[in-house]
Amino acid sequence: MEFAVCEGAVLPEFVRQVTQSDINRYAEASGDYNPIHIDAAFAATTAMKGTIAHGMLVLAFMSEMLARAFGDAWDESGQLSTKFRSPARPGDTLTVSGKVESLHDDSDIVLATCSIVCRNQADEVVVSGEARVRIPASV
Amino acid sequence: MPVAYDELTSGHEFPPVNYVLDAGTVLAYAEAAGSEWREHVPPLAVAARAIASLGGLVSLPAGTIHVAQDFEFYRVVPVGARVTCSARVLRKLARGGVRLLTLEMDIKDESGAPVQKGRSTIVLPEA
Repeated sequence: MEFAVCEGAVLPEFVRQVTQSDINRYAEASGDYNPIHIDAAFAATTAMKGTIAHGMLVLAFMSEMLARAFGDAWDESGQLSTKFRSPARPGDTLTVSGKVESLHDDSDIVLATCSIVCRNQADEVVVSGEARVRIPASV
Repeated sequence: MPVAYDELTSGHEFPPVNYVLDAGTVLAYAEAAGSEWREHVPPLAVAARAIASLGGLVSLPAGTIHVAQDFEFYRVVPVGARVTCSARVLRKLARGGVRLLTLEMDIKDESGAPVQKGRSTIVLPEA
């Protein structure tokens, strides 16, 4: 764990520029080949006016930030509740940030509740939500 | 065969889908997400294939929007693991022009132990 877990602690940010190559790779990993994500010609004819990243790819960025902050405790016991606010497009630079809002002691486990948000380079919210993770009290 | 929205009811259960989280899949995920390599499969890599499989279970029109997503992780699985995803309709709302669907999925490993649970809420365009 790379930061001291306490109420008000700010999680280390995760910054990632979205590329069409990333989106294509995510399509391979997920099997989601919806043309809105990978077919520029098709996507240009839609209301989106171009390809957009899978919402789940943005959540992957958020999960990565939480994994770097909380280590395996995140992968083994994390809870994520999110709302998609706006699309992410190739070329966007996304910044995922978070803050420990509360800590709840439960014998040898501490439940950390964090607010999390992903914003683009224009400071627009792409995804917002809450994460909870159970961490050993000794950490 | 995908089921049309109009044919779905709350509680509808879809046939389970199973898949292998092989090294190629996990590597593609890690490259796309900027994920640090670890011995187990990142939980969102487990979920990626499950969420995509939901799209094959329900016939969704163009313009369908994924508006919310929740997860609970219970355990990790190693690279190469086979998992099974069982999905059901948790909530269906069709009122006025709004058509909303919340799907719940349970992912288990080969021993039947829970790996993670997810809830996806989507909004369909007006018919």
